[in-house]
Amino acid sequence: MSFAFSFLFPWLFALLVIQWVTVKVKKPPLGWRLTAILAIISGIFILVPVRGLPLARWLIGINANFSLPLVACVFNKAWEHASGSRLLDRQASMASWIFGLSSGLVLYPMALGLGDFDPYVSGWGFSWLFASMAILTVVLLVIKNRFAAVLMACILGYDLNLLESHNLWDYLVDPFFMLFSLAALSTWLTRRMRKTLSG
Amino acid sequence: MGRRTVGIAVLATLLLYAVPLWRWCCSFKQEPAGFYMNRSSPQPDRGLPRMTGEFISRDPGAGTVHVASICEMADGRLVACWYGGTREGARDTAIYIAVHNPGMPGSWNAPRVLVSRDSASRELRRYVKKLGNPLVFADSRDRLWLIYVTIAVGGWSGSSLNLKVSNDGGRTWTRSERLTLSPFLNVSELVRNNPVQMSDGSLAVPIYHEFLGKFPEILWVREESGRFKVRKTRIAGGSSFIQPSIVACDSSRAGAFFRSCSDTKAIGRATTRDAGTTWSEPHHLDLPNPDSAVNAISLSGGRILLAFNDGLRGRENLQLSLSSDRGITWQRVARIEEDEGAEFSYPYMMQDSRRQIHLVYTWNRKYIKHVVFNEGWINLKLQGGSE
Repeated sequence: MSFAFSFLFPWLFALLVIQWVTVKVKKPPLGWRLTAILAIISGIFILVPVRGLPLARWLIGINANFSLPLVACVFNKAWEHASGSRLLDRQASMASWIFGLSSGLVLYPMALGLGDFDPYVSGWGFSWLFASMAILTVVLLVIKNRFAAVLMACILGYDLNLLESHNLWDYLVDPFFMLFSLAALSTWLTRRMRKTLSG
Repeated sequence: MGRRTVGIAVLATLLLYAVPLWRWCCSFKQEPAGFYMNRSSPQPDRGLPRMTGEFISRDPGAGTVHVASICEMADGRLVACWYGGTREGARDTAIYIAVHNPGMPGSWNAPRVLVSRDSASRELRRYVKKLGNPLVFADSRDRLWLIYVTIAVGGWSGSSLNLKVSNDGGRTWTRSERLTLSPFLNVSELVRNNPVQMSDGSLAVPIYHEFLGKFPEILWVREESGRFKVRKTRIAGGSSFIQPSIVACDSSRAGAFFRSCSDTKAIGRATTRDAGTTWSEPHHLDLPNPDSAVNAISLSGGRILLAFNDGLRGRENLQLSLSSDRGITWQRVARIEEDEGAEFSYPYMMQDSRRQIHLVYTWNRKYIKHVVFNEGWINLKLQGGSE
């Protein structure tokens, strides 16, 4: 399952890139017919063999475990280009960025050697991480934040072994999602500050 | 979302988390694993003192060989593994394997390539830039395991670990499987020293992390329904110790000896009393370490034998030392090699079923040397004698 699933992120990413190029010449929404054509083109593109490996697997050589929130963010953007509507609304996007940045800040420094505690260990089997994520998901559901659906997809993916990793952390966050969250939050903060200053 | 939809979603969430919770609850029914002690009442070796040596890799060519490991299969054959190429980290580096048939003249057969960059890339279905440290060992079910390093980007800090298993004594091997052990692009995990068999059939493989921090870890490998489940725990944090060598003293106690990569150029040691779950704070021993690999094994009577470079600079000698108090104090036994300007490094020892001790190491980066001795020879050396 994880081998087939490994093509999903490269495919969505390629689709998003092609959509970005397309919206330069055609105003969004692109519509479902054009999006389907672009999806087929991006699907063919990621399967093009380069030195014996499909292009998608070259990306997997750099990172084999793209987190499900990152996949969801890319899917959301591709959906927005196609339909003009967003699956993850403003609140859900904000929740995902805060989650991506904060979980990355908790995980990476300590897992890479800052201090003696390694939070990554908690992702191998049921632990405080699982309990925390279950509580966070329920809270987000109760306040009707759509990011809860993404967190539900994370634990579903973990149960189904969708990724090469068997560690829940890898389903929740990856370095690219953390950087994306940092960039998105920084942009949002900058805009908000400019707006406040201008009046 | 209506109240009913939220209720269903909450229920679904709880059910999804119930799966890992159920597995966790089931794990409590199992006895906690201890170190597997295959010699319930270790008997000292009564054989005549003996010590022999030979080169495994015969053709030095223009290249380099490094990081050897050795194990014994159930039929008594020895298997050794190392990497070789034009230089360390070169793209033509491959992992070599050689087999020693006991009682046969010529002893070691010609080494063959077990894993090349191309075969690793093909099996892992991703780009592999170069290969690194291999570790070969046999488990209690007589399967051969190979854990080896691949790098996609950068140097050694870009290392990832991969696993292959042979069920037929090394004739055929399973497809390489990538082990995900680090959250940051799964890099900076390396392997070096002997694994420890656990009482439940799982394995504790000493590994280490080398990126922002440099620290020793344990890779726990368990087979569940034909699939290998891995997890890792940390022996120590910081940036001072790597390449742990773990020696089990009994089912729950063990010592770990480390290569030092700090300014304090001395071998490190930590201990566990709960079969590797928790470890004491590492401290430096009175044995020097010029930032080079060490290797330790247990002998009869609870003694520990340590192979290391006995100096603060360079790897110009290879020394054996013995401890009778679980690694606190050490007595130098024998100098296996010594030559100014040469390199004798990365020792790896194993005691076979006939109680012979096999030592393999890098000889000037040109050969892998195999030295065999017994405890009688060690005892003789302890008494100051020569064979």
